[in-house]
Amino acid sequence: MTTEGAPRFFGARVPRRQDDRLLRGDGRYVADINPAGVLAAKFVRSHEAHATVASLDIEAAAAAESVKAVFVGEDFAGTEMRCVSSYLGFQESAQPILAVDRVRHVGEALAMVVADNEYLAEDASELVVAHLDPLPTVVDIDTALDAGCAPLHPGWQHNAFVRRQIETYGFGDTCSAAPHRVSIELHNGRHSGIPMENRACVAEHDPGTGRFRLHTTTQIPHLVRAGLSWALGVPESLIQVIAPDVGGGFGVKAQLYPEEVACCLAARRLGRPVKWVEDRREHFVAAHHSREHRHTVTGYFDDDGTILALEADIAVDMGAYSVFPWTATMDGGMAMGILPGPYRIREYSVASTSVCTNKTPYGAYRGVARPAACFSIERLLDQIARHLGVDRVEIRNRNLLSEGDYPWRSPSGLVYDSGSLLESLDAVLELGDHEGLLKRQADARAAGRLVGVGLAVFTEQTAHTTQEFKQRGVPIVFGYETAKVRLDASGTAVVSASIHDHGQGLETTLAQVAADRLGLDLEQIRVEYGDTEQVAYGAGTFASRSAVLAGGAVTKAADAVADTLRLVAAHILEAAPEDMVVESGRVSVAGSPNQFLNTSELCRLIYQRPERLPEGVEPCLEASRTYDAHPGTGAYTNAAHLASVEIDPLTGKSRVLSYAVVEDCGPMINPTIVEGQIFGGVAQGIGTALFEEFLYDQAGQPLSTTFADYLVPVMSDIPDFRVAHLQTPSPHTIGGLKGMGEGGAIAPGAVIASAVEDALSHLGTVTVNRLPLTPERVLGYIDAANGSGASS
Amino acid sequence: MKPPRFAYHAPRTLPELLETLNETADEAVVLAGGQSLLPMLNLRLAAPSHVIDLGRVPGLDSIASTNGSVEVGAMVTHYRMETDAVVAASVPLARRAAGYVGYRAIRNRGTVGGSVAHADPAAEWPIVLLALDGEVGLASVRGWRSITAEDFFESVYTTAKRPDEIVTSLRFSTRCAHRWGFSEFQRRTGDFATVAVAVACAVEAGEICEARVAIAGVADRPVRCREAEAALVGGSATAAADAAEAASDSVDPISDIHGSSAFRKRLVHAETLRAARQAFSANEAGARDG
Repeated sequence: MTTEGAPRFFGARVPRRQDDRLLRGDGRYVADINPAGVLAAKFVRSHEAHATVASLDIEAAAAAESVKAVFVGEDFAGTEMRCVSSYLGFQESAQPILAVDRVRHVGEALAMVVADNEYLAEDASELVVAHLDPLPTVVDIDTALDAGCAPLHPGWQHNAFVRRQIETYGFGDTCSAAPHRVSIELHNGRHSGIPMENRACVAEHDPGTGRFRLHTTTQIPHLVRAGLSWALGVPESLIQVIAPDVGGGFGVKAQLYPEEVACCLAARRLGRPVKWVEDRREHFVAAHHSREHRHTVTGYFDDDGTILALEADIAVDMGAYSVFPWTATMDGGMAMGILPGPYRIREYSVASTSVCTNKTPYGAYRGVARPAACFSIERLLDQIARHLGVDRVEIRNRNLLSEGDYPWRSPSGLVYDSGSLLESLDAVLELGDHEGLLKRQADARAAGRLVGVGLAVFTEQTAHTTQEFKQRGVPIVFGYETAKVRLDASGTAVVSASIHDHGQGLETTLAQVAADRLGLDLEQIRVEYGDTEQVAYGAGTFASRSAVLAGGAVTKAADAVADTLRLVAAHILEAAPEDMVVESGRVSVAGSPNQFLNTSELCRLIYQRPERLPEGVEPCLEASRTYDAHPGTGAYTNAAHLASVEIDPLTGKSRVLSYAVVEDCGPMINPTIVEGQIFGGVAQGIGTALFEEFLYDQAGQPLSTTFADYLVPVMSDIPDFRVAHLQTPSPHTIGGLKGMGEGGAIAPGAVIASAVEDALSHLGTVTVNRLPLTPERVLGYIDAANGSGASS
Repeated sequence: MKPPRFAYHAPRTLPELLETLNETADEAVVLAGGQSLLPMLNLRLAAPSHVIDLGRVPGLDSIASTNGSVEVGAMVTHYRMETDAVVAASVPLARRAAGYVGYRAIRNRGTVGGSVAHADPAAEWPIVLLALDGEVGLASVRGWRSITAEDFFESVYTTAKRPDEIVTSLRFSTRCAHRWGFSEFQRRTGDFATVAVAVACAVEAGEICEARVAIAGVADRPVRCREAEAALVGGSATAAADAAEAASDSVDPISDIHGSSAFRKRLVHAETLRAARQAFSANEAGARDG
């Protein structure tokens, strides 16, 4: 392959090309899609957390104005959703499309009313009367795991989907020899990604061909198709899944949901398209939840704070069912793997339990378990520092992995490929003006105010593929992404990729990659995604993988197409193919820039003047390639965050004053997009730290079902950010790229907790261990600090 | 979250409005800015047969300073209260409180009349009315009447307004407008108050001779705290702290997911202290404090 000149677009701050369309209201979302004859569905949902379904009275609803059908559990009883892990001892759950004889969480669908429009469907849905006989509810981890607690699913032995354990060989001996140990128990609130657009789908069925078409709000169109194929018993060739513009996903939309199956079944039964647009109240109880981890961690360390061993007990409240395609093991497994974090920890013992309760099922949310893992290890580092009287920065410097450690095989078996941990910590202290923050903290204290400084460092596994997912016991191994590149006769290109862009900016970044490889302008590249009939098979967008994997696949496919350009141009120009240079809309001879063909002319020749082609070259400028980022263990992005927080001493309300991030995701395709991802991630992380929590009462009733009760951060809660970049390439990936979509959301909980603890440290000793840090909780910490006597 | 079916009325005059309301009274709701009503309809917490829109009825949006009081039409928006010169000059407490109502988009559409008719016990206008010894003007086909704020608010979303009446105006007395304070605890800027406190004082010969302290978010209606008011009169060195203590002791708030009763009592202490300190300070129209 000939080396081209410096890339024109890779690394450039190109504006997001989709913004013009989206900001003008020209986007096309699922709710905008109205096939002829479409009907509206409304789900009747359980008001009990755990009950047997005695009877459903649907007569009045069925007779209501314009109602076409009222479906109940028996109607769809042949269909259910299972997602089974291959881990030993995994207990399967069967999630019905509509509850048949039992409901297991408030919000589980009992009936589906289909009428002419949403208003009439909702009117009729209020006429369905559900007679439910309540059963004892299980709403917390301890109750669920109590030996006396009845299992929530038939045939189960206990209420753990799975329990897992790993321990390194030298763990026991190392612990006995360690001079110090510190333990801490940590709690993370149950919350979720809260995309601006709720879920929605439109199902169509053609009785003539048996084909289904489903427009749906998903991050993973092909996986939805695979899941539907299993659930419906229909081959994938008869199912088209289209995800048009999607208004945010954050993991919430990386799942097959019962409503999607229900709409397909209803469309087939009724012979008319069926549309469902979720409302926000449903979203809070029926779109999956996330983040509710409880960890107990113990660090064993020597006199200078070197961590010798780490012990952890992880429990995750997975709610009522194991969801497709993740299984109920995802968070527990991810936390086990990444908990040792960026530190040189060699001995490790960890147990992880995925717990079943009467809550909304649990799925992915930006960061998947890493926010909880980061919270645990970073809080532990702070406790070790306090125990020894060592500075929080210093304790990290003594334990962080450094350049000579890579590749680092973590005690949980992950292979960290590269990183710049010490450098990022150094850099963030400078960027965030650590010295100035400490001075302002001292001044504030002198004036009776409570100001604290917090920090965290983490490493983030991204773009992991086959090696990682085969260990996770999931039914589908997400090993690669696919891209197709097609140049047409006018010299413009269509890039079709198996990922989906619902805010990540991939429509722009993939065009940047393709434009460089094909020597075209950005305007000459169209990027498409989201329609399983248009794009090749792949998993979709999640796990900070799309830029790396789809970027790599686009690179490979574009290079293959460019090779054909070179072959034909070399033939016409009577030069050697290896001397041909593809750039700036031309294919020219290296060293003889006046010998060239315009790419558009060349494309026209290839398609329309096949007699000019060299022998053996097909008139085809199209290539499809997959990319798997071999060996599939992941490219490790790292970052350091530094923040300051002020607490109102009278009310406990915390305010983030400043926030700085130094992150290293390797070479950046588009720094503006990288920074946008960081801003958005940190903003969500501030929600994790201070605001967001799905609360339940003891009967399993959700208490946070509107935006008046479930609080997301608003503009005035978000400080100005300072962001800087380091760029350490991954040795494993094309271009050295690393993923970074999740990173911003990982550290804020740890950082802000560290700052709140620091703000109170002159009052007394408290250990901040529970998120979110609501004002009332913080007042409790203030009281405890005041009651604990002077700090050490 | 689609509203149930209702008949929509858009009368063009006040008499027409009152006539329509009279005919439909028990099954009607009146739509002003819609900031509370529309969510209630969408959540099906309200299912009226008739919705009567005030938006096209003229004459309900004036602000006038009269002898000893300021009269504000029911359809005046929160945003106008925040920016109107008469309000700023005569009842600056009302101006300050307006800035705590929701956020700008809500203040652009929401109205003072809508807020008091809705009678959310955590809302700002009811405590401003109480603190400024205000009255609520009501009209029906039977005529017009005025009722004191203290008698108007009866319970959660419940007032002395009869079903055939609409709120036409609010009247704020300027007697206690000299010294004032307003402090509110919001989880996030623009949220409903968890607790809000309004303090208004009349001054004679440089001394506080009358004080009124009204608290939102601690009971089924806005409440006055006489003990805190007594502590402020005379303005001793410990008056603000005494008033805060008295206010906190006097309330018995509920516990919910936004805070326990004990937490709310501490918020009452904190916000009363801050509002009282503002009242003792110069009361220039300063920046909002947290």
